[in-house]
Amino acid sequence: MMSTNKIATRLEQTPIDDGVLDAMINEARSGIERDMQLIRRPEARVGVIPSPVGRLLIAESKRGLATIHFLALDGAERTLEKLRKKFDLIENEASTRRVGAEIDRLFKGDLSVLAHRVDLTLVESDFQRRALTSLRTVPAGAVITYQGLAAAVGHPNSQRAIGTTMASNPVPIFVPCHRVIRSDGSIGNYGGGVENKVKLLRAEGFNVGRDLRLPARAVMGHRKTRIFCRPECSAAKRADSSRMLIFADAQCAGQAGLRACKLCRPM
Amino acid sequence: MGRAYELRIPPPFDEAVKSMEREIMRFLMRSTGDREDAKDLFQETWLRAYRAYPSLQTEDGLRPWIFRIASNLCRNRVRDRMRRARVITNASANGAALGDSASSSARGGPDAMLHLKRSIARLPGKQGQALMMRKFAGLEYAEIGAALNCSVQSARASVYQALRKLKADE
Repeated sequence: MMSTNKIATRLEQTPIDDGVLDAMINEARSGIERDMQLIRRPEARVGVIPSPVGRLLIAESKRGLATIHFLALDGAERTLEKLRKKFDLIENEASTRRVGAEIDRLFKGDLSVLAHRVDLTLVESDFQRRALTSLRTVPAGAVITYQGLAAAVGHPNSQRAIGTTMASNPVPIFVPCHRVIRSDGSIGNYGGGVENKVKLLRAEGFNVGRDLRLPARAVMGHRKTRIFCRPECSAAKRADSSRMLIFADAQCAGQAGLRACKLCRPM
Repeated sequence: MGRAYELRIPPPFDEAVKSMEREIMRFLMRSTGDREDAKDLFQETWLRAYRAYPSLQTEDGLRPWIFRIASNLCRNRVRDRMRRARVITNASANGAALGDSASSSARGGPDAMLHLKRSIARLPGKQGQALMMRKFAGLEYAEIGAALNCSVQSARASVYQALRKLKADE
């Protein structure tokens, strides 16, 4: 009878030639490549950058920016987990540094960088996608209320759902959820911290008061008629709330291409 | 300035598993004893592993994890065949399954190797797979334990029991 050791030795000494294995791997590879084309996730480059609003985790796919995460507030584990389900992640500092440079330019007053393409793959519902897409039409220097944005996407009573959507916005700064405020005139919360919301609004030319409320000289602008009014103007009160934006003052509204109302004469 | 690797991002799938291709193919070849089956399961292992890769937390557990997928697929294949009442004969297995004929004849002749092959095929699933992983793929007992979802001691015991049964069959 053979000993256990001898059997083990015999098993270990009966190799399959590497050449045979390589040939089999090559034969299997064509099938793998064919099937992988159907299930392969798109690539996204990821990196961490410093910025005026703290350290940011950036992920960018070929379609655009997929994620910006404020690392100062919490860890990136959950965000990375979500990203890995949708993308094959590749570390690429050069790409993320470019986004960092754009954010720096934003804080120096160059608002053109906000036109950067975004990839809303991480957004889970159609409602949220429509809300975030609609939000991108709010110009820099203006803000909109949660209620106004809900009305703009056709659900005037869904201001809470808009709040949830803003809280889960995967691409803050470039999808400007910092431009959404409360109807009572306070600037509300922000996923990246209220302090950063104020910084971003100020960088865009919307000067929030020290009390974190709309400035007293704020005016209401209508997106369609391109007319701006005082908040107490009867024309503003009658107007469709889904089309109203709020500007810090009459001068900002004028710079955005709106004309003053002839009834309340805000200028 | 922060770097992405501080975030513990595992390497891209293709890069991570490239070095394990031969090991997995060898394991599948030993387990199935059939060249076409091994290629088929290799392909299936790769696709399943790719799909599930986002759920893998760290690169450290990659090797046992991928062996676990491969061994589960082998077990499923055997179960499916048994359900269809197919008779699997080791005689039809490819000659390379337990080494080429030249090497087998040098260590006791083709009959002895065939006998050993049959004995391995008769081992209970877990013992057979633990033996394959240990003796052909060279996995550590801890890795076998992770792959077969059991403790290190249990993995060690499975290999020992498998060798003991082979010895008794001789």
